[in-house]
Amino acid sequence: MKISVKLIATYRELLPEGTQGNKIEIDVPEGTKVSDIMAQFDVPQDDSSVIVVNGLTVTLSTILVEGDEVSAFSAIAGG
Amino acid sequence: MNGWHGKILRVDLTNQKTSVEDIDPKIARDYLGGRGWAIHYLYNEVDPMVEPLDPENKLIFATGPLTATSAPTGNRYMVVTKSPLTGALAHSNSGGDFPTWMKRTGFDLFIFEGKAEKPVYLWVNEDEVEIRSAEHLWGKDVPDTTDTLLAATNPKAKVACIGPAGENLALMAAIMNDKDRAAARSGVGAVMGSKNLKGVVAYGRKNPVFAEEKKMRELSIKIAKEVGADMLAGSSLREYGTAYVPQVTNTLGILPTRNWQTGVFEGVDTIDGPTLTEKYLIKPKPCYRCPIACGRLTEVPDGPYAGKGEGPEYETISAFGSGCGVDNLAAVTKANYWCNELGLDTISAGMTIAAAMEMYEKGIIPEEDIGQPLRFGDADAMIEMVQKIAYREGFGDALAEGSYRLADKYGHPEIAVTTRKQEFPGYDPRGSQGMGLLYATSNKGASHMEGDVAYEEVFGVPIKEDPLSTDGKAELVARFQNAFTLIDASGLCVFLAVRYVFSADRMIWPVRLSQLMEYTTGLTYTPKEVLDAADRVYTLERLFLLKAGSTEDTLPPRMLNEPLPEGPAKGHVNRLDDMLPEFYKERGWDENGWPTEEKLAALGITK
Repeated sequence: MKISVKLIATYRELLPEGTQGNKIEIDVPEGTKVSDIMAQFDVPQDDSSVIVVNGLTVTLSTILVEGDEVSAFSAIAGG
Repeated sequence: MNGWHGKILRVDLTNQKTSVEDIDPKIARDYLGGRGWAIHYLYNEVDPMVEPLDPENKLIFATGPLTATSAPTGNRYMVVTKSPLTGALAHSNSGGDFPTWMKRTGFDLFIFEGKAEKPVYLWVNEDEVEIRSAEHLWGKDVPDTTDTLLAATNPKAKVACIGPAGENLALMAAIMNDKDRAAARSGVGAVMGSKNLKGVVAYGRKNPVFAEEKKMRELSIKIAKEVGADMLAGSSLREYGTAYVPQVTNTLGILPTRNWQTGVFEGVDTIDGPTLTEKYLIKPKPCYRCPIACGRLTEVPDGPYAGKGEGPEYETISAFGSGCGVDNLAAVTKANYWCNELGLDTISAGMTIAAAMEMYEKGIIPEEDIGQPLRFGDADAMIEMVQKIAYREGFGDALAEGSYRLADKYGHPEIAVTTRKQEFPGYDPRGSQGMGLLYATSNKGASHMEGDVAYEEVFGVPIKEDPLSTDGKAELVARFQNAFTLIDASGLCVFLAVRYVFSADRMIWPVRLSQLMEYTTGLTYTPKEVLDAADRVYTLERLFLLKAGSTEDTLPPRMLNEPLPEGPAKGHVNRLDDMLPEFYKERGWDENGWPTEEKLAALGITK
């Protein structure tokens, strides 16, 4: 199934070289969890990251479905 | 005294006299400094019902015990007065260099009273204090005023001043310092203008004395090293400034777009931090002794929006960018430059223009009133309106009153997205429930700077909270209000404070901040004691607000009745009623929001 991964601000660097913008679409097997995606892109899976799916709060064990957008950014003060 | 100087400089503008007084040591300790000391004087000396632009109102510049110390980001000051925009309390915060230089004059506070007959500026060179004519400066913009004042005094001094917006009493006029930093919100610049006070120049070498020099130095270095390591590891704030935030809020569906009609902006990729860094950033620009350096020195090299200056930060982008439906970052940056030069709050200016755009498109404001079309996305019209606001020229006169008065004038107050008539900052409370409670109850009208629970709801600092949930938000908002009051009173910057001098749990306990206060002042300050003192400050501010007649804690109809139409928060409104009663209990206020007698007694406040 296809999902998209959006890595914001400094986490953009974790996307494959040559990626345009901050988002990439990938194919993953059914049953893929948020934690699998984070591991694939080397996103820290602790309080130093904020991770959401379709903009909503999730746990790392949340199972993804077709069309989901997983977004992550470094937890830091804002504006 | 240690940490504080304990000295207040009182400036009687009406009689052109200055005087110096000592602060009562008990007041000093109980009210912490900065914003805390300022409300003590304002509450005791100014009738809360005073007309904000009347000479009877007072304007207070306040540094804290950690301003001009070795504590990283100890470079802030507060401007406190009664606001002409909100009719309630104003406390606006700024960094840069000026606050440190002000503290080094040997005074903690400047209190401006009355009104000068003709334009003046104040020159404080330690104990040599002069009120000088500023008639030749009236009408000049902020950079010109700053350069002229430095040439006339000491090039090593620092300047805070108003631009044309403050002179013309625009209700969103800022007080600018070091040219590009702003005590921006609530129209503090209009109060300064109403007093015919064009600028303040500060110079001195009176660094505060620390009670425990060695401990202070060691803890400051430890904190600075931690921040430095984080910056080296790659920090979004250093790389992009707060301009990285539009991608975050857009992802959560809470980026204010076209005057809050939605929370998702299709043009976000063209107005975000990476775009700013790649196209216009010259270099990050830190405030004095700041290891973070979120400020942006930028240049738009060519084209219709060419210019050079500082910004934009997130709030400016959300107001002039998505808020006005403008996807052109050069135009947003240009609007920011104009605001800095003319002395305007970018949030209220941008969001007021956004409200006017909505009313124009809906046929509520006729084109002949504006003198031209004013559609969402029209960057040129937006920039022209900024200039008109500062000079109250043409339609700018109506815009200069802020979005609430503008919308009310045209019979549609519901279009203004304000609380206490102050425009919202860039977090839609329909998708960020705690922020809604914060805006509704903030002592200064809608503001993120009075207890920014977006730290947890949006940014995951120190931990992530579900922004769509109301559970526990009453307690969280009350805690953050006290924590931010403490930070403002101390003289530190919130960007450093929440992450590095509080505990990393949900309720952020001020462990290191209380130590910094102890080492600086030599007084015993446990974490509980500093939070209690912050509670005292916040409560006294609340009393001032209530006595000014600003008693309604609510949100505008769009937030309570119009669900977000798309995005992650689609279908949500803000559920203020679910949080407000619990919040009042949490704060020790009665069901109408008044602090109870027991609460006041516990805090040692006499009504």
